[in-house]
Amino acid sequence: MPQSDTVLFTTMLTVKELSKNYGDFVAVDRISFSADKGSVFGLLGPNGAGKSTAINCIAGLLKPTSGHAAVAGHDVVSDGKAARQNLGVVPQELALYEDLPAIENLRYWGKAYGLGGKALEDRVTEVLEYIGLNDRAKDVPKEFSGGMKRRLNFGCGIVHRPPVILLDEPTVGVDPQSRARLFDMVEAERDAGACIVYTTHYMEEAERLCDSLAIIDHGKLIAKGSVDELRAKLGARDVLQLSGHFPVEPTKQAISALVERGNADLEFLAQEEDSITLTLSNASQHLPTIFDAVAGTGGSVSETNLRSPNLETLFLLLTGTELRE
Amino acid sequence: MSFALTSFKKDIARWRQDYMAVIIWLAIPLMIGGLITTLMGSDVKPHGTLLLVDEDQTFLSELIVSAYSAGELGELLSVEKTDFDEGFQRVNDGEASGLLVIPKGFAQAFLESEPVTLTLRTNPSQTILPGIITNVTEILLDAGFYAHQLFGDEIETFTSMTDNPSDAQVAAIAVAIQNKFESVAPKLYPPVIEIEIVEPPQQEPRPPLALLFMPGIILMAVVFSANGLAGDFWREREQGTLRRLVFTPARMSEFLVGKALAAAAIISFVGGFTLLLGFLYHGIAFARLPSSLAWIALSGIALFAWFGVLQMLFSNQKTASVFSMMLVFPLLMAGGSFFPLAVLPGWIAAIGRVAPNGFMADRLTTEITASSAWSIDAMSWATVILAATVGLSICAWRLRAGFART
Repeated sequence: MPQSDTVLFTTMLTVKELSKNYGDFVAVDRISFSADKGSVFGLLGPNGAGKSTAINCIAGLLKPTSGHAAVAGHDVVSDGKAARQNLGVVPQELALYEDLPAIENLRYWGKAYGLGGKALEDRVTEVLEYIGLNDRAKDVPKEFSGGMKRRLNFGCGIVHRPPVILLDEPTVGVDPQSRARLFDMVEAERDAGACIVYTTHYMEEAERLCDSLAIIDHGKLIAKGSVDELRAKLGARDVLQLSGHFPVEPTKQAISALVERGNADLEFLAQEEDSITLTLSNASQHLPTIFDAVAGTGGSVSETNLRSPNLETLFLLLTGTELRE
Repeated sequence: MSFALTSFKKDIARWRQDYMAVIIWLAIPLMIGGLITTLMGSDVKPHGTLLLVDEDQTFLSELIVSAYSAGELGELLSVEKTDFDEGFQRVNDGEASGLLVIPKGFAQAFLESEPVTLTLRTNPSQTILPGIITNVTEILLDAGFYAHQLFGDEIETFTSMTDNPSDAQVAAIAVAIQNKFESVAPKLYPPVIEIEIVEPPQQEPRPPLALLFMPGIILMAVVFSANGLAGDFWREREQGTLRRLVFTPARMSEFLVGKALAAAAIISFVGGFTLLLGFLYHGIAFARLPSSLAWIALSGIALFAWFGVLQMLFSNQKTASVFSMMLVFPLLMAGGSFFPLAVLPGWIAAIGRVAPNGFMADRLTTEITASSAWSIDAMSWATVILAATVGLSICAWRLRAGFART
């Protein structure tokens, strides 16, 4: 069984120089990362960044164009069956038999991973309890609420006690109560020793759950490390977003002048005709100075948005674009 | 192969939930088959009633009554004597095919060559039996005319006899008739027109029409089931379970074998039920049931596999569903589900036998009408096994090559 393989490894998932191309389009561009036993690794990025493509390559659904990935030491291409045996996938979209009772869904997916007999029955009972569906075990999922289906979807992915679990945007469309329950289940699996790879575009989820993470955008890995390490990249700087009218060159010159006048950590992140984005420490104290500088260029400010440092602002810092654009 | 069994059980459990689909696959052919069998009436000959009002009550009028009851005519008609009022009412009510009134004095007028009128009233709601009665009545009157010309004296003598003529009287009339035959014989024989009676070549008696419809109806149930079951590839894809299966170490071939076995079981149930009804209705020997069922199950797997291939060729479920339904009805038409191949013109039947379901229905016809069970030839079994194997192999390839992964 998988456990006998996995106890030997601390690093349960290794991805090296993984690329996936569709013709000329590069969906995943030479990304590398690793994830350890008993940890949650977050793969963050906006929709279309390449997270799901990367996950599908790791899960064996797609063949990488180059590079490789290994699950519990088994290469996903050359030793695919063993890799899949060690992997539990909770797909973004529900993947359940809506017309098969919950308990039968769990049995079916358990058998697909080679479980059988008493071990399967015990595990199915355990998972039903765990996902809070033991009183609805004989009901069919088409009668379930969205949250219950999500929990069953999760249960089907972990029924074989995989040492590595891939969770692909598991909270999309989930109500807050079910989301909290899913978080609890993820944390419980981590505490039980599983290595969890969690993709999301919700930075607050990543901040709550992930021990380490990587940020991916346009197929490229643009940052990775622990949550604290990534926060440190921002320093203690706030992100200030101003809306209004901003003449391009005069505004740039005015901001550069502010930096030269002693605001060393002020950084110009992005500028469009109707908005500019800046990062600096204690931004609220510098607002009058910045407004004066903007007014001196002939520009005007109609709206101010000040955010304290978090992963979302880090993404903005790294890419110049909002995570959920 | 344990996952094949798991896959089989899973599909059976799912179809038990969706039992209405199975009932529809069963109900449509049964409804069509029931209608056809009712219309064809299992080759029962038409039978009617001729009401006869004999107001004359003579030997000659009795002869007419007995003429309608003799030979094959007696199989078509039941002759009932009645009085005029009741007979008139019953014909008007549509309870009889005709009412013939033999008036009082009919025999006397006949013997004296006087004009006499027989009244025949027919049922306007019927066509065939009243026509037969009218024709028979005209023939009887013609025969009566010629009999009167030849044997008028003898008939008159006979009718004037008492109820119990002596042997000598009967013998005298017989001799007189014989003499007249002998006198006219040289004029009649040899006949001027020679008639050669050509016996048609001995043919196997054709099974009843309703029985010939049966295989086509059963194959209709099998085609509906196979097409519906093949649509499950798309349902699995749409609900993400095919894709999820790719994440597991389970083999796609085992999944497919389980699915095919479940399809065979459901098709055997649907086809077997219609088969059983057909066997009971037509009184077919039950010794042929296992071989017929095996043929249906195997045919069902082959059809399921090829419908599956067809479904997986298309880029979305709706197109696949529309196209497969567009194919089903011409297939049923060509394959003899609406008209048995045995009664179609040769060239159309030849085309029908090339259609997959036509081929299968044709062999099933052989099985249920031949003199013994297991009459389908080995080549036909091999053809269906090959078709099923190739179809399933293409399905497996298509699943692995991309259908399950997107």
